[in-house]
Amino acid sequence: MRKHTAALFFILLAPALTWAAPNPRLTFPSFAAVAQKASDSVNITLDPAMLALAAKFLGNDPEDAAAKDVLKGLQGIYIRSYTFDKDSAYQQADIDGVRSQLASPGWNRMMETRSRKNRADVDIYIMVDHNQAIGLALIASEPRQFTIVNIIGAIDLEKLHKLEGQFGIPKIDADQSNPPPAAK
Amino acid sequence: MGEQAALTALVLAHQRSVYSLALRMLGTRDLAEDLTQEVFMQMNGNLQAIVSNRHLGFWLRQVTSNRAIDQLRRRARLPMASLDEQMQLQLFSPEQDSDPMLQRHLRLLLMELSPPARAVLLLRFQEDLDPTDIAQALDMPLNTVKSHLKRSLESMREKIAGMPSVRYEDNST
Amino acid sequence: MSKDLESQLRAALRPVAPRKEFTERLVARGAAGQADRRAVRSLAARGIRPLAWWVGASLAASVLLAIGIQQHLEQQRLQRSGLEARREVVEALRMTSQKLNLAYEAVKSQSTSRAAEQSGA
Repeated sequence: MRKHTAALFFILLAPALTWAAPNPRLTFPSFAAVAQKASDSVNITLDPAMLALAAKFLGNDPEDAAAKDVLKGLQGIYIRSYTFDKDSAYQQADIDGVRSQLASPGWNRMMETRSRKNRADVDIYIMVDHNQAIGLALIASEPRQFTIVNIIGAIDLEKLHKLEGQFGIPKIDADQSNPPPAAK
Repeated sequence: MGEQAALTALVLAHQRSVYSLALRMLGTRDLAEDLTQEVFMQMNGNLQAIVSNRHLGFWLRQVTSNRAIDQLRRRARLPMASLDEQMQLQLFSPEQDSDPMLQRHLRLLLMELSPPARAVLLLRFQEDLDPTDIAQALDMPLNTVKSHLKRSLESMREKIAGMPSVRYEDNST
Repeated sequence: MSKDLESQLRAALRPVAPRKEFTERLVARGAAGQADRRAVRSLAARGIRPLAWWVGASLAASVLLAIGIQQHLEQQRLQRSGLEARREVVEALRMTSQKLNLAYEAVKSQSTSRAAEQSGA
């Protein structure tokens, strides 16, 4: 049972392996209006050159080594995240421009979670080509924050999963996890 | 000023002298460049022992001359048929073509001298060292230096006099 | 001894400069060599032929200074870009990991509830 939580991603991924995929790079809207209302904005654009440069400056401590390992095979990481001072400061319509792209062929919704406890909805999409994940999109909506992540390249979800516990993120106690729900 | 700049300045200040000595002793540009490089590399390792810039200049001439003489002695034991022809070509490089014909002949006659005599003449007339300094640089008795100078000049004078194309009148007494 | 012959010899044996390429190579090799740096500086400070020294030293210093400044600036720029890229990568992975964690927690929570329901039944 130990690896159930991590294995969940791969189990859910399996049906999507046969899908062919065109371009995993999402086109982000400008989010200018949203940014004006936000108290904090994060805009990360890491193309292949920047990723290669960053890898050269990552050291050998556990955190950097884990990051370096994840970066292998990646061709881009693009993130937009906006944090607000009060609830409901943004509309779901603000994110629709991205969601509509994820409805196009090639993208498969791998996971859709709704957490009452954290008041967070997280949708994870994956694009697969020749049995290899070539793109990942994540949309996390919380009352005072929404985050869109788009990762391009040969994504190793297990490595990404192993990042939990790194970067100050508390590690999930996998021993206590139960069998995953059936794939959607 | 940094050390690199200082070292560069030393090289720039002495390279003409070292290179010219090497070229006129050995006769070819390639050999001269190799020797010049070796001498400056040796200088790098010996700077601690150099007490002044005058000393450095003297030391460089001494090392260049002696290394060249050693090379020529080693070369004399090897068959190098084409060297003379190569020497003549490089001794009369295009930038020297404007020299009077006599000076070309003198450089050619220099190459006919024995290596020690050639070094003596070069240190005397190219580097302007006096016979005492030449004797010290080449580790040679003063009388030998004077003898080389005298005989080399006489030999050159005779050969020049026998060349019909050279319009040179020896006014020596 | 002929004064004319001597003066002709001096003229014939004027020092000649080596090829420019050779000089550059020589200077580069000298700079990369294992010279005793203190000795070089001390010797240089004592002053060789003043004109040759200052011309040579000024030229060398200018070239080396220009190269040095350019390399330093380029190095600084690369360092800044690299550190910024590293910071962004760490931040990107931290955020991605955090959001994946939210999903894991939700899955875990659902599983726990389902198991509790099944055991209650």
